[in-house]
Amino acid sequence: MMNWNKRNHLKTTVAGLGLMMLTACNGIFDDIYDKPEEIVPAKGQIVMDATSWTDWYYVDLDRLHQLATSGDEAALLKAQTEFEAYPIPMQATGDRVDTPTTADEGKDGKVIATQGKKAGLYMYWFDVFGVGIKNNTFSFFEPTAGQTTPENWTFAVHRNNVRTNGGAVLETTYTSMDELPESSEAFRNMTFTEDEWSENAVWNSQDQMLQGYVPSQGIEVNKVLSSWLSMEIPPMPPSFSLNRHVFILRLKNGNYAALQLENYLSPNGKKCYLTINYKYPY
Amino acid sequence: MKKHILFSMLMAGAAWQPAVAAGILDDVVTKGRMERNGDMTATMPSVSDSLAYEAYLDSISRKFDLGEVVVTGTRTPKFLKDTPIQTRVINSKDLAKLDATNVQDLLQQELPGVEFSYAMNLQTHLNFSGFGGQGVLFLVDGERLAGETMDDVDFTRLTMDNVERIEIVKGAASALYGSNATGGVINIITKQNKQPWTLNVNARYAKHNEQRYGASFGLNGKYWNNMLTANFNRMDNYDVHSAADPVTRIISTVYGDKTLNIKDQLVWAPSKNFNLTGRAGYFFRETVRSADQPERYRDFSGGLRMNWSISDSDDLQASYAFDQYDKSDYQRITRLDIRDYSNVQNSLRLLYNHSFDRGDVLTVGSDLMHDYLYNTNLEGETRKQNSFDVFAQYDWHITYKWEAVAALRYDYFSDGRDSHVTPKLNICYKPLYNLAIRAGYGMGFRAPTLKEKYYNFDMSGIWIVEGNANLKSEVSHNFNLSAEYTKGHYNFTASMYYNKVKNKLSTSAPYFKSPTDKLPYLPYSNLDDYSVCGGEIGAQARWNNGLGARFIYAYTKEQLAKDKKGNTINNQYIPAREHALNVRVDYDRQFTKHYGMNIGLQGRVLSGVKNVEYKDYYDVSQGTVSVSYPAYTIWKLSLSQRIGKAVKVNAALDNLFGYKPKYYYLNSPITDGVTFQVGMSIDIDKLL
Repeated sequence: MMNWNKRNHLKTTVAGLGLMMLTACNGIFDDIYDKPEEIVPAKGQIVMDATSWTDWYYVDLDRLHQLATSGDEAALLKAQTEFEAYPIPMQATGDRVDTPTTADEGKDGKVIATQGKKAGLYMYWFDVFGVGIKNNTFSFFEPTAGQTTPENWTFAVHRNNVRTNGGAVLETTYTSMDELPESSEAFRNMTFTEDEWSENAVWNSQDQMLQGYVPSQGIEVNKVLSSWLSMEIPPMPPSFSLNRHVFILRLKNGNYAALQLENYLSPNGKKCYLTINYKYPY
Repeated sequence: MKKHILFSMLMAGAAWQPAVAAGILDDVVTKGRMERNGDMTATMPSVSDSLAYEAYLDSISRKFDLGEVVVTGTRTPKFLKDTPIQTRVINSKDLAKLDATNVQDLLQQELPGVEFSYAMNLQTHLNFSGFGGQGVLFLVDGERLAGETMDDVDFTRLTMDNVERIEIVKGAASALYGSNATGGVINIITKQNKQPWTLNVNARYAKHNEQRYGASFGLNGKYWNNMLTANFNRMDNYDVHSAADPVTRIISTVYGDKTLNIKDQLVWAPSKNFNLTGRAGYFFRETVRSADQPERYRDFSGGLRMNWSISDSDDLQASYAFDQYDKSDYQRITRLDIRDYSNVQNSLRLLYNHSFDRGDVLTVGSDLMHDYLYNTNLEGETRKQNSFDVFAQYDWHITYKWEAVAALRYDYFSDGRDSHVTPKLNICYKPLYNLAIRAGYGMGFRAPTLKEKYYNFDMSGIWIVEGNANLKSEVSHNFNLSAEYTKGHYNFTASMYYNKVKNKLSTSAPYFKSPTDKLPYLPYSNLDDYSVCGGEIGAQARWNNGLGARFIYAYTKEQLAKDKKGNTINNQYIPAREHALNVRVDYDRQFTKHYGMNIGLQGRVLSGVKNVEYKDYYDVSQGTVSVSYPAYTIWKLSLSQRIGKAVKVNAALDNLFGYKPKYYYLNSPITDGVTFQVGMSIDIDKLL
């Protein structure tokens, strides 16, 4: 048996406790985590903060192409990262309508235009805390002014919604811009999807979500291109999922562009902060 | 000789051989004396080597159970039969039979009045006889746990590998444990290795690709022993489907997770009266609610504890504990792991016991804790607080039949300069050697957390959860009375309690600060007084033919708290179910020297419950509605086969009768029908 006296006991304990207390009061192993850093767009990339619920942001691919060929790096970087916000009109311009006046039906019999595709805010009830948002019903409509746009634009983004300026979109099976065929020739005989009317997709407020009521803007969106980022409820908070496929956009003027959503998270993890790869003209 | 007993138990800690303890109990009862642990073990045959013997050593077997050493009720080691504070023990043999993965899995199988449900964001929430997760103090070897989500500790951290026993003390115990011990204390005691070496590996597979792998490796030298434990669990997410038109929130996806737990504990005992225990642990969990942004949870823990028996009458324990609980989101696309939460607790503790000749024990202790909180949803993102306490307890053996324990504690919290004085008094009367009647009063308090004071969280655009720096502590007054009677193979218990709770800490009614506010604020508030009362009746027996049975019924009446103006508000969490019954029946038989089996049936029956919920969260003036949640019952049939000394093959049918909730409400059992589990455990050291 070792001969241990009281002094040794105390020394050992104090030394041990002292060693342990060297650990930081504010924690250890900070280095295993990453620090949020600003996303700087690479060549052929757009970084867009589309987190706003109430604004559309417009992209002009012709302008980006001009800047890229002009060699003005600063102007190009600005165009790749700064986008003017175009607010969704919220001011009612007429009386509220509580019942559908017309009912265009989609292929599955679901009502897709309750007011004859009038511009305005469409309040729908969504089964947010039940079986999910696929279960929804029209509640009321308030007419508003139509959405304003810049003079020149190719496509516009509102959170997880995308619309085109008279274009049409094809989803490819490619998951990398580098794998794409040399030109868009390979896709030209395929079926492209134009924008479609929507009155329960462009959610512009969460204010009544706890009761299941979410207002949407009545507007045409491109459902194929919008599928690059889908949102699901449940769960709550919503779950987002990224579709990494490359999309081919046929512009109104007959030109083609390739688009791919690279990321939808901000450095701090905020959703709908988009990093978009583009190739134009393609 | 009492001081002698205390010394032995303190030094031996949790490492007593169960059979030794059982033998000692008889000694104590008949002769009023007991030998030191070391002397006794030398005379004992190695009965514990026999797997068959284990069947008789679970907590249904009162001969063993009453001889078990418990520490939680008084912070000093006492025999379960002697402790003046009613303590429920779930021991390692129970754990082996129940085959629970973590403390959540275990408690809901074993304790009536314990319910785990989902909170608002599908995080697990505990209701423990009317008290929520923040009103029940979870300890591991007496140490607190850092971190919380929706007011609950991370239960997946508390795996059941290498657990010696779990001690559950109901009722307020803040006079010994400080803040949070308003509704009770659950103390998980880990094993110490006493064999020259041990090596166990185990695995289990179940529905939804649930996989569990565990290993523990123990080494024991002349002056030291070490135990290394590793555990990995995983389960897939799966969808559940409700009928149409639910009356309130339902869930549609059950989130599985991946967890990894690694722990090491090294004990150095250079002399009979001194030992140092060092420990380190790492925990990792990943839950995937959003495929591109899995949630990650990590914990780093460590500690050093000294036990020093200064003399036959004086014992000193000093300890330092470190616990860091982090949350991060892994951005899979960019491979960035961004932390958004960290809670770090550094604690120093001193505990001194002095034993008097007649068996009385004076306990004096003090704790110092530094609490650091980083949360991106916190005003200012980081907050710090120091807390300090000092307490004393006197355990007075008045006569052979009467014992009283009184404790008083002072706590101080630097944030807000909040302080509390908390008393506690328990009396135990044994009119017969096999009948114990216990009565007690305890005050409990829960100091507002830094989150509750300084939170500012936009919850997905639904509302802004708002902290309140002026919060007062929640205070509870607990009165309890219990009786325990043992006769032959039978044991009966009955208990009742009443809790008066003041200034309950909770979120209150949502409100708009101004007419132009788009989102309502959901403030943390002190609610009005409310009460929780209830009781338990239990009967259990284990016969010599290998049959054992236990029935425990619990009644809980949780009065719903109103706000300070007397308005009915939406209860933050669904209240406790009024009636709950837990049943366990098992039969054990050793057919040959090399083969035996245990077959068990466990069930729980829970009554329905009503909750008050707002008609319209954005206009609370519309009032509330009463929402009924249905009753349910879940049963589990398990079969454990022992092959030789070293191998166990387990199989179980959980949710035996295939209960499926019509609606998956937040407090529905998380099941989509019968689950088949199959597993194996091998003690490799016993193969050789």
